[in-house]
Amino acid sequence: MISMRRRSIIRGTVGVAAASALGRPFIANAQAKTATVWQNQGFVRQEDEAFRKTVADYEKASGNKIELSVMPFMALGQKAVSALTSGDVPDLMFFDAPSYILPQNAWNDKLVDVSDVVEPYRSQMSESALLNSTFYNSVTKKRSFYLVPIKQAATPIHFWGDLVEKAGFKTSEMPNTWNGVWEFFKPVQTELRKKDRQYRKIYALGLQITTVGPNDGNNLFAHFMIANGGQDIVTPDGKLHTDDPKVREAAIRSVEFMTGLYKDGFVPPEALSWNDADDNNAYHEKLFVMDFDGTLSPELAWISHEKEYYQEMRVAPLPLMNDGKTQMPCQVGAGGGFIPKGSKNVEVAKDFMKFFIQPKVMNENLKSGLGRWFPSIPQVVKDDPWWLDDSKDPHRKPYITEGVLQPTIAAYYGYNPAWGVANAEQIWGQCHANVIKNGMKPADAVEIAFKRAEAIFAKVTFG
Amino acid sequence: MSGTQQTVAIGRGFAGSRPARRAWLGGLHGADYLWAIAFALPYTALFLFFVVYPIGFGLWMGSSPALYTELFSDPRYIATVINTLLYVVIGVNVKMFLAFMLSGFFIRKRWWSKALLVVFILPWATPALPAYMSIHWFLNGQWGMLNSALWEVFGVDGPVYLNEHWTGLAANIGAYIWKTLPFWTVILLAGRMSVPQELYEAASVDGASRLTRFAHVTVPLMANLYLVCTLLDMVFALGDFNSTFFVSGGGPAMSTEVLATLGIRYAFTLAVPELGVATVMSALPLLIPLVIMLMRRLRMSEGQL
Repeated sequence: MISMRRRSIIRGTVGVAAASALGRPFIANAQAKTATVWQNQGFVRQEDEAFRKTVADYEKASGNKIELSVMPFMALGQKAVSALTSGDVPDLMFFDAPSYILPQNAWNDKLVDVSDVVEPYRSQMSESALLNSTFYNSVTKKRSFYLVPIKQAATPIHFWGDLVEKAGFKTSEMPNTWNGVWEFFKPVQTELRKKDRQYRKIYALGLQITTVGPNDGNNLFAHFMIANGGQDIVTPDGKLHTDDPKVREAAIRSVEFMTGLYKDGFVPPEALSWNDADDNNAYHEKLFVMDFDGTLSPELAWISHEKEYYQEMRVAPLPLMNDGKTQMPCQVGAGGGFIPKGSKNVEVAKDFMKFFIQPKVMNENLKSGLGRWFPSIPQVVKDDPWWLDDSKDPHRKPYITEGVLQPTIAAYYGYNPAWGVANAEQIWGQCHANVIKNGMKPADAVEIAFKRAEAIFAKVTFG
Repeated sequence: MSGTQQTVAIGRGFAGSRPARRAWLGGLHGADYLWAIAFALPYTALFLFFVVYPIGFGLWMGSSPALYTELFSDPRYIATVINTLLYVVIGVNVKMFLAFMLSGFFIRKRWWSKALLVVFILPWATPALPAYMSIHWFLNGQWGMLNSALWEVFGVDGPVYLNEHWTGLAANIGAYIWKTLPFWTVILLAGRMSVPQELYEAASVDGASRLTRFAHVTVPLMANLYLVCTLLDMVFALGDFNSTFFVSGGGPAMSTEVLATLGIRYAFTLAVPELGVATVMSALPLLIPLVIMLMRRLRMSEGQL
């Protein structure tokens, strides 16, 4: 429950008012010019409509023109990398999850510093949004803002409530610790298989211990590390702490638990070679009961299936860490706009982002996108009851609770580009595979993964 | 040298350079020459823009020796090269052999073989992405069609194909063969159709059996086309990305990656396109001899099948 006090309301209102005032000059300063913007296509049609409306509102307010190109996520990623390589760039790129583009290109001094856009709102931004918008530039030898953070997303627990009940359990019985949640679904599988032949091959857990990736397995491992107290494997100074006994212990416990679930038969064997879409597809087909996946996309993809969306699908926020005392923070990244160097119209690109970052504009845009992403300014969520109203949408409240009201930590990619390289090599997935397929002990498999991570990090030196 | 001799010498020189110049101009002169330039110019511009520039840019991007040091230090690189060789050698040769055999089947003048040919061509006509993704799901160990059928018919659970290196690699190669087999079958079918029937009739008159006709008429006449197709497909297979990317995803544990997918991973997952280009460039020692062999074979085979 949120307690709203007079002081907090005044503080929030003053903050929003001050930010609005600081953000206002964009209209007066801009001259009628055109900027080219590339945007990644939303997961639901409403996200694209919301973006187009924001563009139209900006054009009306500023007199400038935005030439918008909307592309699928992967296609835009490839186009963005090609553009940044060749120098033939748009004025602005708006990306939901630019985690693999920004660290490397900021490092290579290929992005425009957008500190002047972000600074007026800095005090209101979530810490994770700030940390995932600042990157190290090896030419200027300092960190700076290279992303204007607009949106963030959490990774909640998704499960089929009807299957849990069919197995004879109550969702309210779910334990409130991380490992406990995973354990809860094991007897659900056993009972379902006993009860009905159609569930002969149902599994409890969509645990993505994949060696293929690209993202889900790494995200899963990071959350296991957090739950086991190993969240400082990389710190904001970009250093890797594989030599920290606490981190090592957390990694061993994580690998032991995850591979145990797999070896005990509660995870589809195929999970070792899943790609990021495989668990979503299988979840929708009710081929397993529980999934841990980013955003509300598993639910929103089925928003037109009324029975499933409103009655059967469930979303739960993260529970306590495995110590049973501390609320487990969700690891979140940030999405938004960045400006490549070589942009012909930096002024309008920045102007558009100054418009977009205004709390009111940001809020309207993300609400229209059905709340799959939430604002990078937490106060916006707290001030608008829509975000926590579960009378019309059962999934948004637990999702927002996890991503905004509960503690969060930043994704590690902003700290050091080497983290992205280690993830791209799927070293954690390979660590699981070494235990499952090669019979290695978790401690030995972790040792190999840590050695590889150390070798990758050793190639990146700051300052 | 006297004045007359000088005149003769100059006259000879002038007369000697004229045919050479005319030959260089392709025997054209005046307005014809200008027209020729006008017609050639767009093609030249397109060639420079769409062929020379991208290749030059790629070579430039992958020109730093440091990239290759980094590439060769990647523990996955050698395994990837081996996978690529297996993919190309097995995938292409098995496919071309099957295509050659099937072209013999489809040349039959029966209505049902023509009807079957239409069905047979479908995998090639299907867009690559949904086709390969269907195969990925078809092979799913738990819920895929193949293992479901095995369970329904024989009551046994099939293996998890994409969890093992060899079955994953076999799946990628199999998918590549399945997708492109129809194309090469049709090419070889066209080749078979242009073999003069008189040769078969003459061989029959001489008492040649079906096998002898195949060995002494079909094989020698088709050998050149077969070789050209094989070389050409090897070039295609070396750069093929779709099958591996969408069927096994390079897994398990990146053990089925080929150079094309590793290059894409570097370029677009790590956002280091230079390293991606270097990965693909490292296939040049294999690619260039293939292209040279192909060109020589095409030049030698003028007027042949």
